[in-house]
Amino acid sequence: MKSRKNRVETLLLSLQERAKELECFYAVQSVLSTPNITLDEICRKLIEIIPPGWQYPELCTVKVSIGGSVYQSPGFVETPWSLSADILVQNRVVGFISVYYATNPASQYGRPFLDEESRLLNMIAARIGDHLWHGLESRMLSDWTSNMAQVPDDAKCEWQLALNSLRGTNPELYQRITRKMLNYLCWSGVPEAEQLLRSAWPSRASVGESDAPDDWNRPRQRHGIAFTSYLGARVFALASDHMDCPQILQLIQMWIQEDKQSFLVQLINTNVPVSTVADIIRRYHEMSKDPSFVPVQRTRGILIAMIRRFLSEQRAYVDVAKEMMEINDFHFLLDKMIYTNESHGRLGGKSAGLYLANQIVKKKASEYPILADIKTPRTWYVTSDVLFHFVHHCDFDELIEQKYKPIQQVRMEYPCISQAFAAVTFPEDIVRGLSTALDDFGTNPIVVRSSSLLEDSIGAAFSGKYKSLFLANQGSKRHRLEALTDAVAEVYASTFSPDAIEYRADRGLLDYNEEMGIMIQEVVGTKIGKYFLPAFGGVAFGCNEFLWSPRIKREDGLLRMVPGLGTRAVDRLGDDYPVLISPGNPGIRVNVTPSDVYRYSPGMMDVINLDTASFESVDIESFVGEVDGGFELFRDVFSAYRDDTIAAISPLGMDREREKPVATFDRLITRTDFLQRIRTMMNVLEDTLGFPVDIEFASDGTDLYLLQCRPQSPAEVCAPGVIPKYLEPEQIMFTARKHISNGYVPDISHIVYVDPDSYASLPSRGAMIEVGRAISELNKLLPRRRFILMGPGRWGSRGDIKLGVSVDYSDINNTSMLIEIAFQKGQYLPELSFGTHFFQDLVEAHIRYLPLYPDDPKVVFNRVFLRESSNRFAELVPGLAHLEHVIHVIDVPEATGGLLLTVSMNADRGEAVGYVCSPRDKRK
Amino acid sequence: MIADAFEALASEREQLERACALLDVSPAVREFLSYAVREFKVTLPVRMDDDSIRLFHACRVHHNDARGPCAGGIRLHPQATNDRIRALAMRMTWQCATVDIPLGGAAGCVVCDPHDLSRREQERLCRGLVRRLGTNIGPRRDVPSPDIMTSSQHIMWMTDEYEAMRSEHANGVMSGKPVTLGGSASRREAPGFGLVFTLREALRLLDIKPTGTTASIQGFGAVGQNAAKMYQQIGGTVVCVACWNQFDQMAYSFYKKEGIDIDELASITNYFGEIDKDRAADLGCEVLADDAWLSQDVDILIPAAFETQIAEENVSGIRDSVKLVAEGATAAITPGAAETIGERGIFHIPDAIANAGGIVCSYFEQVQSDSNYYWSADEVLGKLDVKLTEAFHAVQHISERRKLSMREAAQVIAVDRVARACQERGWV
Repeated sequence: MKSRKNRVETLLLSLQERAKELECFYAVQSVLSTPNITLDEICRKLIEIIPPGWQYPELCTVKVSIGGSVYQSPGFVETPWSLSADILVQNRVVGFISVYYATNPASQYGRPFLDEESRLLNMIAARIGDHLWHGLESRMLSDWTSNMAQVPDDAKCEWQLALNSLRGTNPELYQRITRKMLNYLCWSGVPEAEQLLRSAWPSRASVGESDAPDDWNRPRQRHGIAFTSYLGARVFALASDHMDCPQILQLIQMWIQEDKQSFLVQLINTNVPVSTVADIIRRYHEMSKDPSFVPVQRTRGILIAMIRRFLSEQRAYVDVAKEMMEINDFHFLLDKMIYTNESHGRLGGKSAGLYLANQIVKKKASEYPILADIKTPRTWYVTSDVLFHFVHHCDFDELIEQKYKPIQQVRMEYPCISQAFAAVTFPEDIVRGLSTALDDFGTNPIVVRSSSLLEDSIGAAFSGKYKSLFLANQGSKRHRLEALTDAVAEVYASTFSPDAIEYRADRGLLDYNEEMGIMIQEVVGTKIGKYFLPAFGGVAFGCNEFLWSPRIKREDGLLRMVPGLGTRAVDRLGDDYPVLISPGNPGIRVNVTPSDVYRYSPGMMDVINLDTASFESVDIESFVGEVDGGFELFRDVFSAYRDDTIAAISPLGMDREREKPVATFDRLITRTDFLQRIRTMMNVLEDTLGFPVDIEFASDGTDLYLLQCRPQSPAEVCAPGVIPKYLEPEQIMFTARKHISNGYVPDISHIVYVDPDSYASLPSRGAMIEVGRAISELNKLLPRRRFILMGPGRWGSRGDIKLGVSVDYSDINNTSMLIEIAFQKGQYLPELSFGTHFFQDLVEAHIRYLPLYPDDPKVVFNRVFLRESSNRFAELVPGLAHLEHVIHVIDVPEATGGLLLTVSMNADRGEAVGYVCSPRDKRK
Repeated sequence: MIADAFEALASEREQLERACALLDVSPAVREFLSYAVREFKVTLPVRMDDDSIRLFHACRVHHNDARGPCAGGIRLHPQATNDRIRALAMRMTWQCATVDIPLGGAAGCVVCDPHDLSRREQERLCRGLVRRLGTNIGPRRDVPSPDIMTSSQHIMWMTDEYEAMRSEHANGVMSGKPVTLGGSASRREAPGFGLVFTLREALRLLDIKPTGTTASIQGFGAVGQNAAKMYQQIGGTVVCVACWNQFDQMAYSFYKKEGIDIDELASITNYFGEIDKDRAADLGCEVLADDAWLSQDVDILIPAAFETQIAEENVSGIRDSVKLVAEGATAAITPGAAETIGERGIFHIPDAIANAGGIVCSYFEQVQSDSNYYWSADEVLGKLDVKLTEAFHAVQHISERRKLSMREAAQVIAVDRVARACQERGWV
């Protein structure tokens, strides 16, 4: 029983000792982690906090010696009963720490010190050594600087003491600094320095003297500077003769910082794998946490190398990025990158675009406070070369040649590739990376987006060519990881899709390797019932290519917005409409009457159904009924449509019996700063990047998120048309100079021309209605998108049809272009419709619009060609042949000997021209 | 504004001439009725959002107010013509008189394209118009209502400005206001229900019990849908409905031999009367061509979609089983086709009464607003029933007595009522 009690007491004592030792170690750690603490303070604190950690604190004294400075406990006496540990920096002893007992304690263990105490002292010494390694030089310099401030002016050359200290602690660095000082003095034109250099480098004189042209082909002999203590002393003596103390101190400080950051040079080597880059950047990041850290000049080149390596090689991009980024930014970026061990890949166009845009917005927020709260969602990046590792890992190497196969074969094989990709497993390191990303995302829905390297090229937007997949990201980790790897495989497979390969072939990009980066982005939104969705999303364009009113200018920009996920605003759906807003002129809306506002508003919205873990399109009315108004910004996004009236939704909720929700964004535009934020962001991005951009955005109801940013790259039909310099007069059918938008409509085989005078002189309303019917017939008969409609005044006029041909969208939906002609009538110039009667239909179908004002003396209008060319109308619509004098259908090749009509519109020049020329294929 | 001798006015005057000839109206009355009693042309300076000032031109035409205050639409349109507005005002006079409501006819416009104006600019324009028209409008003088590109919001701004000018509540000055601010209950249902009230009377006249009759309807918007519901309520069976499909950019007819459940069909129809084609097929409807609605073996045809839907070229498609056509949309039947219909012995309820539910309800709104007492939906529909039933029988009576078509009779009765009012007042 007694022995058991003793054992318990012994155990208790032992535990008490361990607790004391731990306390002591934590206290040391705490001291070393104190921000801005000086070495002097550290040493003073150490002698206080170490004794309590020992078995007999009352007998314990401490002595610390570092760099020649000695600190010891009050009443310190050296005795035989001591423990000591060396302090090492880079395996060099820079000091020691010793513990002494004043008398020999009557230890029950027979020895004055425990083994654990010995280990504790070694650990403390090692920790101090580490601390010195990370910050000794800068800390010393910092101390010197502060001490120097207190030293009287006549005594300020005390820096020599500091240099001596450096010579003791890090002689290699001392030598490097001495060399730099010597070079500096030479460059500064100090003659004695030049002599000193010659004496330290004996061959220099002969080399300099024999620096003749005939020696240019003879390799120089290798010489080094012989470093001696004498040389060091002479160099700094010279320095003190020619410079004042602060100047010398500043130079030394700078060179020490440069030396500390010299490891960054490895980053310039592009052969270093991403994993090594990550290690180097991590080390730099840790170093930069030190308050005395000063980034040196040399890191600029490294920053540019990093930008080119990971983000973009485009000069325009690099020029902006280097002003907006710091090396440390790569620490956070690399932290979110997924790569293989041997990866050398990069991020791809989409990721790079978003990353830079985010940097610009963050940086410019100080100048434009309205940008301060704009965020980007949490994003992880899979580097571009992982696609090749994946292909190789899965033994699909032959796919590299897939793009050179005939397109029909590519089309046939694509489903098999897609299936095969879905069935294989990913390399282990990629799975590990994806798993880490999933841990970061939690169970928030995510979207897996392609980020192709070729997207970098301006003019190749790859919109919709590669897949973007939404994942609900629900369920067990294993299940979520499977879904994520499947999605990545599917996006990879889309690289080999016929659409993508055709698109690349069309743009001459086939011979470039299509490395596909992947961006895994948190979906912005909130959970509403079983759904997950943002309050709204959309896309904004810096230039508006669809002007629906003469009061709207191109530079006013364009927003396409929808409630829910922005996918329905990005894509043109045909059966649904986003809300169009001109940020520069938000009052001028496309639709005016409440019924038009309702008809041309989004009917469906895209959401993520968390129950079924699927991406769904839901009917807005049903959705609003189902979630019962539990929608962030509900009243800002929607209005109520009731009795042909559109009104704000009551704060008490909707009357669902009588009211229908209609997405108008009215309150968002008029009551919040949303529009101002978007406009400011677009302007800042355009000003900084130097070109108009298109961005995707979303709001979770609280914050506005930037999801994508790229140069605005319009579809071909909306691209600025080239206005040919040299056209023969007989080639030109018409020109225009007012209200021009961009567009290029080539290879038109038929012109349908409704002659304004003949139309105006029709005898009855019935005859005018017949013209509309005839147009409808021609719309069905003529080759789709190969004809244009030219007519007087307002196409689709619903009131007085004398002012324009009365047609519905279905009567003109196959045309490639709608032209309205405004002839002066006395003093009156008719207002044109700008296609407003079916404007949104025209936009969604890419049908171009052009107004013509033939009375302007500076434009051409070839009325003779239009009226007198052979007219095929009666032949095509024999039932309405009596309208032949009103409607002219011109077969352009027949009338011009094989030429086709091209309409080229250039908004930048404010010019448009319709001219006949050879077909595009032949020109190629 | 363009001085344009457009045919609409000529056409109205021609119809007036014919009616006057039948009524043996004096030349003075005839000439008086062919002109408007008052016309206002106003110029509106409007401050734009960019602080510039832009001038707009507007007009308001009072064709005739012998029977009561004028009423009629006011449109915002960039190229409205004087004669067009005159013609519209004259048409309004006859429409009100046909259904015997104590209102005269008016019309007006502001020459502008609202697509080019911001909401604030539109508001300033509407308020400016009311200030310029001043006391020439008012609950007892002229009651404007919405027309092309004017909405209840525009009407509300105008009402508010008028009340501000008068420093009193006077929302009887406009009709077409939001229901929550003086609009009439049942405004959406009135045109469709009104159509069936006249249809019911026509069946009674023809001694056909509604139960057991079948109908085919073109259009499933507010008019078509409500007409179908009411027709079903009185015992009829709708076997075919045609409507537009925006996505396919064409119309379809939906046919179900045993009869379509209208509520069920309405549940798969959007606000614009477009029926979900696939879901209709799931409900057992045959999806037929756009014009198939016209050639069904039914008793009743109701064109309630657009103008000129039954014309000379397709009127022959009407089956012999058809006994009655109710013209639910304005000018849905061309004059030539109407003649053929009459010749085949098919009873034609012209748009002047079949489509008058909206006008009558607009009058009811003015009455309610002016008295600041609002009726329940049932009360509105009850009064509408009485008004249209009386109108139907009055027109039918003239038709029978003077051996005129129902369409001619409607025009004649209107001209007669207005002419007599003018004479009784001693104007002419």
